[in-house]
Amino acid sequence: MSPKQTNLLQGTLDLLILNSLSTGELHGLGISRRIDQITKGTFVVKPGSLFPALHRMEEAGWLSASWGESENNRRAKYYRLTKSGRAQLAVETEQWNTIAVAIANALNATA
Amino acid sequence: MKSFFLMCRALKNLFKKEKVERELESELRAYVEMVTDEKVTAGASAQEARRAALADLGGIEQVKQAVRDHRAGSSIDRLWGDLRYGWRQLLRNPGFTAAVVVTLALSVGVNTAIFSIVNALILKSLPYPEPDRLGTVFMRVQGSVSSDAFNDIDGEQWELLRDEVPSVTGAITGGLSSGVNLKASAGVLFTHAGRISAHYFDVLGVRPALGRNFNEDEDRPLGPKAVILSYELWRNVFHGDTNIVGKSIQLKDEAHTVVGVLPERATTPLNADIYTPLQPSRDGEGGGANFDLIVRLRDGATWQQADAEINRAWANRALRYSKQYHPGSKISFHTIPLQKGETVSLRPKALTLMLAAGLILLIACGNLAGLTIVRTTRRTAEIATRMALGASRWHVQRQLWIENLLLAIIGGAFGIGVGFLALRGLLSLLPADYLPVSGVPMDGRVLAFALIVSLLTSVLFGMLPVLTLRGIDLRSFLGSRTIAGAERLRLRQVLIAGEVALTVVLLAATGLLIRTLIHLQTLPPGFNPNGVLTAKASMDEARYRNPAEFDRLMRETRTAIEQIPGVQDVGVGLTVPYERALNNVTKIASGPQTGENILTGEVYVTPGYFETLQVPLLAGRSFNDSDQRSSHPVAVVNRSFIRKFFGGANPVGQTLDKAGTTIIGVVEDVTLPPHVNSVNDPLGTEPTVYIPASQADARFISVVHVWFQPSWIVRTSGSIEGLPAQMQRALSSIDPGLPFSGFYSMKDYQAKAIATQRVEVALLSAMAGLALLLSALGIFALIANIVVQRSREIGIRIALGATVLQVMANVAATGVRSSAAGLALGLLLCVGALRTMRSVLFGVGVYDLPSIAGVVLVLFVVTALAVVIPTLRITGTDPASTLREQ
Repeated sequence: MSPKQTNLLQGTLDLLILNSLSTGELHGLGISRRIDQITKGTFVVKPGSLFPALHRMEEAGWLSASWGESENNRRAKYYRLTKSGRAQLAVETEQWNTIAVAIANALNATA
Repeated sequence: MKSFFLMCRALKNLFKKEKVERELESELRAYVEMVTDEKVTAGASAQEARRAALADLGGIEQVKQAVRDHRAGSSIDRLWGDLRYGWRQLLRNPGFTAAVVVTLALSVGVNTAIFSIVNALILKSLPYPEPDRLGTVFMRVQGSVSSDAFNDIDGEQWELLRDEVPSVTGAITGGLSSGVNLKASAGVLFTHAGRISAHYFDVLGVRPALGRNFNEDEDRPLGPKAVILSYELWRNVFHGDTNIVGKSIQLKDEAHTVVGVLPERATTPLNADIYTPLQPSRDGEGGGANFDLIVRLRDGATWQQADAEINRAWANRALRYSKQYHPGSKISFHTIPLQKGETVSLRPKALTLMLAAGLILLIACGNLAGLTIVRTTRRTAEIATRMALGASRWHVQRQLWIENLLLAIIGGAFGIGVGFLALRGLLSLLPADYLPVSGVPMDGRVLAFALIVSLLTSVLFGMLPVLTLRGIDLRSFLGSRTIAGAERLRLRQVLIAGEVALTVVLLAATGLLIRTLIHLQTLPPGFNPNGVLTAKASMDEARYRNPAEFDRLMRETRTAIEQIPGVQDVGVGLTVPYERALNNVTKIASGPQTGENILTGEVYVTPGYFETLQVPLLAGRSFNDSDQRSSHPVAVVNRSFIRKFFGGANPVGQTLDKAGTTIIGVVEDVTLPPHVNSVNDPLGTEPTVYIPASQADARFISVVHVWFQPSWIVRTSGSIEGLPAQMQRALSSIDPGLPFSGFYSMKDYQAKAIATQRVEVALLSAMAGLALLLSALGIFALIANIVVQRSREIGIRIALGATVLQVMANVAATGVRSSAAGLALGLLLCVGALRTMRSVLFGVGVYDLPSIAGVVLVLFVVTALAVVIPTLRITGTDPASTLREQ
């Protein structure tokens, strides 16, 4: 894998996680379900990618976590966006839009 | 701010690892349970739901590891992991680890020990305030014979320096000092005395703890008798009497006033128990160059100014000296730092030892490189597998570096231990006061040196396997099991040849020194040294400056000691064979060389001296009781004397000096350290004049007894129980106030005279032995490794009909070839290297056939052992099983 590709994929995952948390706090499974829901099943985030990303983003200060009760009375770790997380979401959304437009243009041009 | 946040995280991850891990565990468990709940709700059985949930997660451990890899501080965590992995690797190969640690420990240890000496002699500053302002004066001779060395000064030079060189404060000490007797409450004690000029302690910067330093008045000839005590003497003999200053004590049978006590642990270059004023003048002792000079640069002055002033002040003296000893040469003086001046003769020796230790380090590096090559070869499979599984080259290299680092640290730690022991052994080998320093500490600099040497060695031998790693081609390695070993084998052979070459140089150098020592030890002594015991006593006593009293003591003590049962002969002499004697100038008063001033050794002896030592009488007679103070002055000379001054003709009846002293006999030369002849040889012969003790005049005995303690020499028929105690009782029966200061056999004197050579041989033998051991280990490891690696080939050969002996010879040849190449290279190196040893060799040439033959023989035997022992394994080889195994 070339580094560029990794960044792009990682960026995508980060963006999806940040986005899924924009409406409120969720636990790991909740985030996974939410991404499934908002992308209409296009992206299925596996725990093997999800948890490392959550921990990394928590260490980066974008997310904060706390323990709470789930709807089924399970003790679960809830993540929520921090102030810098919101800023990051704005930046990444902006970036993604730029890329998306550029890619779309590029594809149209060759078609 | 963000980096601070990350750092906190990293610290939390490292130090609250358990909590972080527990939380991760709970989080993942919760995930699994929630998925299970969902599936159960959807209608699955509890068991099935759980299995599906776990499958969904994709392995709880894998997810955990994925999270860990992304954590802050994971690189430190990985380093820790690598360290643990490296440690396990080292434990898994105990043979390899032990070989490396032992090699490192020995080579680092020997280097640490030698470096401690170099540090103490050369690098550490002297234990005085502002040591860089302390100096001494060297004399440089430029002409047909050039030299630049420490030089004793005479009374005239001292007065000129004191009065006409304002840039420095100078102080002098008496170069020779016999020690003095001190009357204490418990009896008379022999103490080591230092005779010093007024400003000696000011120059060193030592302030007395009690009282004061000597003043100018006390330092004048015939000035008041004063004394300064060392702290130890003050505490032990005077019980730490705080009112001692101003009190009178009996020293040398005379009242001396205590003016000061030195502080605890104060050291001086003299290291004496008791100090008395030198009271120098231009006559007597000051008539010759008998004073050692030290100077301290005054504030604001420079060494250049001091040099200029000294050369101006001593210009006349330089001119006279040049005319007398070095016609046509230019004589000049220059200051050099005191520390350098004190250690100048030992410096080249210490540096040569450091060089030898460096060679050992190189040999050790060769071995370690060889060992690591084998190890890397063995681990190629592991490394290739790790790389195939995705480990980066850097990761694998880092792992190897870490293992080397671990070895370096362990080896270095053991090396420091070995160095400590080696240093203690080395110091116990040196004669007392051999090193002009108060101690040889293993200080921070020494420890840092040991660590750096160990790490550098680790870099040197660690580089090789890392470099060979570049060559690993994954596909070819995983595809076939053959190892491209030929190149590595050649590299190892070259390494071993190099080791052997360096070992040969060390062995050859040791051989030459051993031959020198044998030459010196087997020099014909000129007397019979067996069955002789000598006892010394300080005669620097007021009552014995009277020749009649002195003569009476000589006669009566001889008689008293002769009464001891078993004693055959007794004699007394100012000096004995193997001991340096007094230099004296006399004049030939008859014969063809009449009027010539000659410099000879001079020894007063009693009747019985030659008989006791069994020095052969060659012509005339020796002294007897008829040679009295009142009778005509007589002398006995030795063979060297008549060869040098009488062309070998019989001199009996010829006369010397103004008094017309008649030569009455000729004796054989005895072996002693040359002092008249300016040669480097530690032992030789000298023209000597012997005079009867009974005819020594007052001036002569009072001066020589300041410098020398005479020896009472006893020859016994067998060993006598408690002879020293009986001799002391005999002496005390004549003079209860005179203690013997020590008892010595002729072997003791001989050993002292060639102490330097003995030390050189001991040290270099140890180093050469170590080098040989390391080289042998290298050869042994090479052959043992080949036997293991080629077991398949060996099996095939034997199966095809080769005899075990043929196969053994085939394998052993690899080691023998390396050793032979090393020998050839080493001998070539010797041609150049051994020439530098010329100045320390006596009685043996630089290219000495027996030494070379010895080296070849030793190397042959060691090589044979090192190649044969590992090949013995082949004799047990069963070709069928070997072939099946592979």
